[in-house]
Amino acid sequence: MLYPRWMWPAFSAPAVLWLLAFFVVPFYSILAVAMGSVDPILQQPQPAWNPADWDPNAFTFVFDNLFYGGGIFQKVFARTIAYVAIAVVLSLVIAYPVAYYIARHAGRWKTLLLVGLVAPFFISYLMRMLAWINLLQEDGWVNEVLVWTGILDEPRNWLDGRASSVVLGLVYGYVPFMILPLYAFLDRVDPRVLEAARDLGASRFNAFRLVTLPLSTPAILAGVVIIALPMFGDYYTPDLLSASPNTTMIGNQINFYLRGGQLVPVGAALVCVLMAMLLILLAYYLFATARAARRLAE
Amino acid sequence: MDRRDFLRRGAGTTLGLSGLGALLAACGSQTGAPAPEAGPPPATTPGGETAATTAAATTAEATSAEGELPFPLARPDSPVTLPIFDDNPPIDSGLEPEAGPLKIYNWIDYIWKRKVKDFGKEFGVEVELSSFYTMDEAIAKLATGQTDYDVFFPTPDRMSRLAYGKLLRPLNLDYIPNLANMWPVFSNPFYDQGARYSVPYTIYTTGIAYRRDKVKTDPFELANGYEILWDPAYKGKAFVLDDSREALAMVLLKNGVTDINTEDPALIEMAKQDLISLIDLVNVKYGIEDYTKIPEGSAWVHQGWSGDMLAGSWYLPEGTKPDVLGYWYPPEGGGVIGNDLIAVLAGGKNPVLAHHFLNFMLDETNAYENMINFNGYQPPLTSLSAESLIADGFIPENLAAAAVRQEDFENAYLLLELSPDGQTLWQNAWAEFKAGV
Repeated sequence: MLYPRWMWPAFSAPAVLWLLAFFVVPFYSILAVAMGSVDPILQQPQPAWNPADWDPNAFTFVFDNLFYGGGIFQKVFARTIAYVAIAVVLSLVIAYPVAYYIARHAGRWKTLLLVGLVAPFFISYLMRMLAWINLLQEDGWVNEVLVWTGILDEPRNWLDGRASSVVLGLVYGYVPFMILPLYAFLDRVDPRVLEAARDLGASRFNAFRLVTLPLSTPAILAGVVIIALPMFGDYYTPDLLSASPNTTMIGNQINFYLRGGQLVPVGAALVCVLMAMLLILLAYYLFATARAARRLAE
Repeated sequence: MDRRDFLRRGAGTTLGLSGLGALLAACGSQTGAPAPEAGPPPATTPGGETAATTAAATTAEATSAEGELPFPLARPDSPVTLPIFDDNPPIDSGLEPEAGPLKIYNWIDYIWKRKVKDFGKEFGVEVELSSFYTMDEAIAKLATGQTDYDVFFPTPDRMSRLAYGKLLRPLNLDYIPNLANMWPVFSNPFYDQGARYSVPYTIYTTGIAYRRDKVKTDPFELANGYEILWDPAYKGKAFVLDDSREALAMVLLKNGVTDINTEDPALIEMAKQDLISLIDLVNVKYGIEDYTKIPEGSAWVHQGWSGDMLAGSWYLPEGTKPDVLGYWYPPEGGGVIGNDLIAVLAGGKNPVLAHHFLNFMLDETNAYENMINFNGYQPPLTSLSAESLIADGFIPENLAAAAVRQEDFENAYLLLELSPDGQTLWQNAWAEFKAGV
C-alpha cells in the first residue's frame, strides 16, 4: 500500500475536533445545566456533569407546560412554529425567482447583483431592524407609500404588536441565506439537460416543472433548513418590531429564563427541547436529500 | 440611551449572529449537525466552596423545605447586619492609596466620565471603566473569580448574596467621611445595617410616565393613578416595564397590596391575571425605553422610572415642547422606590484607592455634577431637596413628581430579594404574561 491506513481518516480530524469542541461539549454543558441546579448564594448554574446526579425537574416543568393545555410554553411554541412556517414559505417564494433570475438570466450583471444582495447584510442585524422601526412607524415611509397609492386610507400602526410585522422582519432578516444556496445550485444546473427537455418537446414551463424544480429540491431543502433553524431561536425581532406579549416567540422565553435567577435550568431545558424538535426537522432534510440523490443516480 | 436598554439589544445581536454563523457552517459542511442554540456560556463553577448544592429546588413544583436560604432576606421590619468574615476583613485605617490602575465596574452609561478622569488626576492613577447591562450578567462575571475590578455598583436586593458570597469587601468608613453628606437613612439602611458593605449612589421611583397633551384625564385627578394604564382610550399606546418584578409590583399596588415582595401564590396569581387583562384591553406592550417612547409619542402612558423621565427632555423631537412630559407617582407616597449602591470588590487589587473613589463620588459637588451633566438620576444628597432641584431648573414643574424626597424613602417600597420558591412564582407569572393570549 502506498499510504498508511490511517491517512485518509486523519483528514477528518479537524472536522471531528470542531464538532467535539463546538457542538458536543456545548450541548452537553446545556444538558448538564438543565439537569443541574443553581448555587444557593450567587445563583450561578451548577451543571450536573455526572448523569447519576441528574435532576429532571426542569424538564418535567417544561413538558408539563408544553403538552398540557394552558401551559406557559404551549401557545408560544405553536406561535413560533406558525411564524417560522409562514416566514419560510414567503422567503422561498421571494428567493426562488431571484436566485433563478440571477443564475440563468443576469448575464454579466450576475456578480453585481449578488454583491448587491449580500451588501446590506454587512450591516448588523440590529441596525437593520432599527431601520425597519423607522420605516414602519406611523409617519414612516411604508405608511406614506401605502396611503399615497391608495392601498390604505389612513396610516396604520405597523408596530402595534402585529404578527405580520414580526414575520416580515424574519423574512427580511433571513431571505439572503435562502437565495445564496438556491443560486449556487441553479447556477450549476447543466444547460444541456434543459436543452434536452426542450428538444423532447417540453414547453418552457414544463421544462422548469419537470426538470429544474425537481433537480433543485435539495437546494430548496438546504435553504429551508438554513433559515428555519436560526428563526426558531430568534427573539430580538419580536422584541424590536412588536414588543407585544401576543407575538412572543420561544426564543424570548428562553432568553428570559436563561438570563439569571432560580430558573436557569428551565431555560436550558427549553433549549434542549427546541433542539430535539429541530433535529427532527434536520433528520427529515437528511432523509429527503439522500432520497433525492438516490433518485438522480437511478 | 439608558443603561438598562443597550444590554439586551447588544447581547441579542451578538448571540443571534454568532448562532447564525455556526448554523451556516454546520449546514454547509453537510454533516447534518445543528449548531447549539444560543445557550448559556459554558458554565463555570464559582469558587469551590459551594459544593453541597445539588439538592436545591429548581422548578415550580419543587417546593422542598431543604432549600433553606443560607442568608437572611432583608426587609424594612427585619433589618440585616451583614457578617464580616475572618477571611475577608476590611482594610486598616490610614493606609496609602495604591498605584492603580483603579478598575470600575458599572452599569453602562451611568457615570459622567469627566468625574472618573478627575479622580484619576487627583490621585495620580489610571482609571479603567468597564460596564455591564444587567445585574445578573455582572454577578455571573464576578462569580467566576477571574476578575479584579475594584469598585462595583450593586442593587440593595443583591447585597446579602454578594456579602455572603464574599464578592464584596467590607468597608472601612474612616475613608468615607462624605457618607455624612447623604440622607441619614443610608448610614444604617435595613438591607445593610451600619453601611458595612455599601454606600448610596442614586435613588429613583417607579411611576407612570405619560404625555400630558394626549391623555384626557390627568392621573393625579384619578382616585387610583395606576388605573390610567387600564384605560382603553390609550389602546396601542400603553406600555409596562419589561421587568418581571416592576410590572407585577405595580399591579399589586394598584390593587392595594403593599407587600410588593409577597410570596403568596394567590396574590401573585391575582396580579398576573390583572396584568394579562391589559393585553386585550389596551393591547399592552413591554419595554424599557420610556425615555424615548414618551417624548416621541409612540407611547402615551408608560410605566417608567423617574430618572428616565428627567432625561426624557433630551429625546423630544424638534417642535415638541418639554411641558408635554408628565410623570405620576402616588402623591401620598407609597410607590416603588429604588436605589443603586457603590461597593468595593473583594477581588480588587486597589482597596484603599477604591475607598477613596467611593468618598469622591459622595462629595457634594461631584455627586451633583454627575447628575446634572450626564446621569439624570438623583443622588440622595441632604443638601438637595425636591424644591431646590425644581428651583434650579433641573426638574421642570411638569415633572415635579419625579424628584425623590427623603420622606419618600420611609414610606415607599423596595423590590427585595425573594426566596427561591418566591422567585420561581414571580418568574413564571411573568413568563405567562409574556406568553400572550
